[in-house]
Amino acid sequence: MRNEYFGDYVTVAVFLLAGVGLVAGGIMAARVVAPSRPNVLKSTVYESGIEPTGGGWNQSHIRYYIFALLFLIFDVEAVFLFPWAVSLDTFAEAGQGVLIYFEMVAFVLILLLGLIYAIRKGVLQWE
Amino acid sequence: MIDYHAILPEIILALTVLAVLVTDLVTKDKYYAAVVGMAGLFATMIPLLTLALCDDLAGCSGELPRVLFGGSYVVDQYAVVLKAVFVFAVFIALLLAVAYLESDRYYEGEFYFLLLAAALGGVVMSSSRDFLTLIIGLELVSGPGFLLAGWRKGDERSNEAALKFFIIGVTGLALLLMGVSLVYGITGTQLFAELAATPQAIVDEPVFALGLLFVLLGFTFKISAVPFHVWTPDVYEGAPTPVGAWLSVGSKTAGFVGLLTVCYLAFPQVSNLWGPALWLAAILSMTVGNFVAIQQTNVVRLLGYSSIAQAGFILAPFGAAAAAGADLQQAFAASVTYLVIYAVMNLGAFGVVIAVGTRLKTYELADWSGMYRWSAGLAILVGAFFLSLAGIPPLAGWFAKLAMFSATIAVGDIWGYSIAVVAALNTVVALVYYTKVVKTAFFDPVPDTIDVAALEGMDVAPPMQLALGITAVLVLVLGVFPGLVSTLAQYSSEVVTAAGL
Repeated sequence: MRNEYFGDYVTVAVFLLAGVGLVAGGIMAARVVAPSRPNVLKSTVYESGIEPTGGGWNQSHIRYYIFALLFLIFDVEAVFLFPWAVSLDTFAEAGQGVLIYFEMVAFVLILLLGLIYAIRKGVLQWE
Repeated sequence: MIDYHAILPEIILALTVLAVLVTDLVTKDKYYAAVVGMAGLFATMIPLLTLALCDDLAGCSGELPRVLFGGSYVVDQYAVVLKAVFVFAVFIALLLAVAYLESDRYYEGEFYFLLLAAALGGVVMSSSRDFLTLIIGLELVSGPGFLLAGWRKGDERSNEAALKFFIIGVTGLALLLMGVSLVYGITGTQLFAELAATPQAIVDEPVFALGLLFVLLGFTFKISAVPFHVWTPDVYEGAPTPVGAWLSVGSKTAGFVGLLTVCYLAFPQVSNLWGPALWLAAILSMTVGNFVAIQQTNVVRLLGYSSIAQAGFILAPFGAAAAAGADLQQAFAASVTYLVIYAVMNLGAFGVVIAVGTRLKTYELADWSGMYRWSAGLAILVGAFFLSLAGIPPLAGWFAKLAMFSATIAVGDIWGYSIAVVAALNTVVALVYYTKVVKTAFFDPVPDTIDVAALEGMDVAPPMQLALGITAVLVLVLGVFPGLVSTLAQYSSEVVTAAGL
């Protein structure tokens, strides 16, 4: 039992080592094989061909944080909705359809209340 | 199909939490949110009573324990009693918070919402009989606590308290989850009833003991027992004082609920492992808590260290009985007795500290000198609650101590006697600082910096009066008629018999 339990971790360790080795090996090989002739154009940050302006440590507005948070909440809601929608059939066959349906309704309503709360508190207004 | 009567308290409390949020949105006077919350708490008590008294009621069927969701959620005598403790604690904390929040510009509606959500977590924890449900309940208690600790946004201390509490709380949770994952990995189940029936071959595995150790560590954070107690005084001091009251009672009770259920129901067969660990934590908590408390000059910090020491007293019978392999039921009843009485008197003590603090604008003990001159009523309440914490009859604290001592002595053995001796010495040490507060309030001269005439004219806000009145009456009544609490504790300890320990 014990050996079996820890044996599973050996697989994880081997996988981890192989992963690190693959990346490290690739970088090392490139450094050894490839010629290195840097110039200004080569060293600039490439972002979809747009000319970079300003530093990398740009501040973004704190309001984005609220949007990100709200987005996350409804994203997670979707994650819960999918398996529910798929398995609702099975529950309905077992005669629990109504219960399971209204459980999700309650969940969505609670999240909706959160959204109403955010709107009422003026969180979504961009002054 | 689902026993709705059994989960009615949770349903009502959850609806209350939502109703508080809606009230906050539609009203201008935010204390209506608190009123809605209190009404919801009263409504929550009704199904708790009907569940407990189901046999005597017409049209009610089904005995406790009521098992739901395949054994994950059980409403038994212990759960009902502890749920009532959570509801009571949050009710008093709400009363204390109303006056406090009105005194300055704080967010109000959200405060009540979070406080009630934390109480819902405690109520869920009391019934959870598997690790997943327990941890969800624990998170529901902790999460709002982190936010509430930082409620005084402009104050650096409060920010520090919130951050410290968050980091330590999350570390505790990580340890707990680590332990649960190890136990789950080796046993393949996280249901307490199935864990209790783990075959001996698996129990003997070192991984099992390691998992248990992590689980225990996770909970010692929550109950602020040594060696994971350092956050307590800082957080109580920095957080708004009503939050300190809730953390020292509600949040701590949640930790004990988790610890008691996990130890008794999930790991009864390894009581020889967790027994000595808790025995040691109890001894260290009382000693460290009490000795550091003596040196405190700030009353809230003093209560913080006192709550560490009290956690030690609550753990004492429980750790000793398990370490010695003695009758666990009496120890369980003693722990619950102590927990209930501690909840009442500590809420009262925090209440009176808030009442004095809102007048003086300081929690330094030196400024409390001669309180009797400017408010005899508050000074008498200080006397009542602090002497009760010290364990002086006829105040409720003496019975908690008595139950604790009789349970540890009944254990017999070196484990029981040694911890009884340590507890006795600690009771004397605790007397030093509790009576110091009372002495300062009654007999010391009023310092020159304090304007007695101005202080005399100030009233205690009505909700505060109600909270102080309820706790003061209870401290007296439970001290004179301790049978009330011991009946409750005996009733709740039936869960131990039911589990066959």
